[in-house]
Amino acid sequence: MIHALRAGAYGIPFMPVGGMWGSDLVGIRPEFYQIMKSPFDGAEVVCVKALAPDYAIVHVQEADIYGNCRILGPSYQDALMARAAKKTIVTAERIVGSYRMQEEPKLTAIPHFLVQAVVELPGGAKPGICYPEYQGVEWDKHKAYQKAVKADEVQKFADMMLEGRL
Amino acid sequence: MKNKMMSLLQATDLIKDNMLLAIGGNAMHRTPSLFTLALTRKPVKNLKLCGAAPGLATDILLASQQADTSYFGFSGLENEAGLSPGMRKGMEGEGKIRAIEGS
Repeated sequence: MIHALRAGAYGIPFMPVGGMWGSDLVGIRPEFYQIMKSPFDGAEVVCVKALAPDYAIVHVQEADIYGNCRILGPSYQDALMARAAKKTIVTAERIVGSYRMQEEPKLTAIPHFLVQAVVELPGGAKPGICYPEYQGVEWDKHKAYQKAVKADEVQKFADMMLEGRL
Repeated sequence: MKNKMMSLLQATDLIKDNMLLAIGGNAMHRTPSLFTLALTRKPVKNLKLCGAAPGLATDILLASQQADTSYFGFSGLENEAGLSPGMRKGMEGEGKIRAIEGS
């Protein structure tokens, strides 16, 4: 999956990937995996198709109004997704002055030119976790979500969450 | 540099039918769940989702049946949060959502 996003970020249609040999996934998803021969020595390689999303949607701790983002703690694949996608939509725990980025430019995980929209949204990962802002799952809300899925009431759950009624 | 601030409503309006979305975060961590909850209030449909370890935010769009395809390496909520209920509902048995598993 990461190689598919990398191919998307690099602007190439597919990418060779090591480590897929022996997996049934190669055979059952020919629209995503193909085997080809290396043009250099004829060795067989598994290739994965590029994924170039229309949007990457990421939640970060800090963004400025231009879309420069800082991710505190693990960044997972978010910086790669922003590069693979045509544009990125950011929701942020807080909006900070651009001086935060200028102080430590290397900590800018996603630069402004990849971003189309910045939404100030504290609690945007709830009922999940956003280190270090909130470090535990809100179990009562998560249980309400699990019940809502079973009862086909996800939209009602969304209304309750977004309107602060849970 | 341009000011790109907008409301949650304006940002969700950018998402159209059939789009491929990469959803950030991991399982229950830094997952953009309020954004995808806001998307469930829109009529948008046939979304394609991707991520290496998608979690709650992706599960919401599978539960709402607004996505018809999900590309993932691992898809779940982990630890006590367990399996991904929307994904199970959408994919198990007669579920219509297409799973494209990576690794």
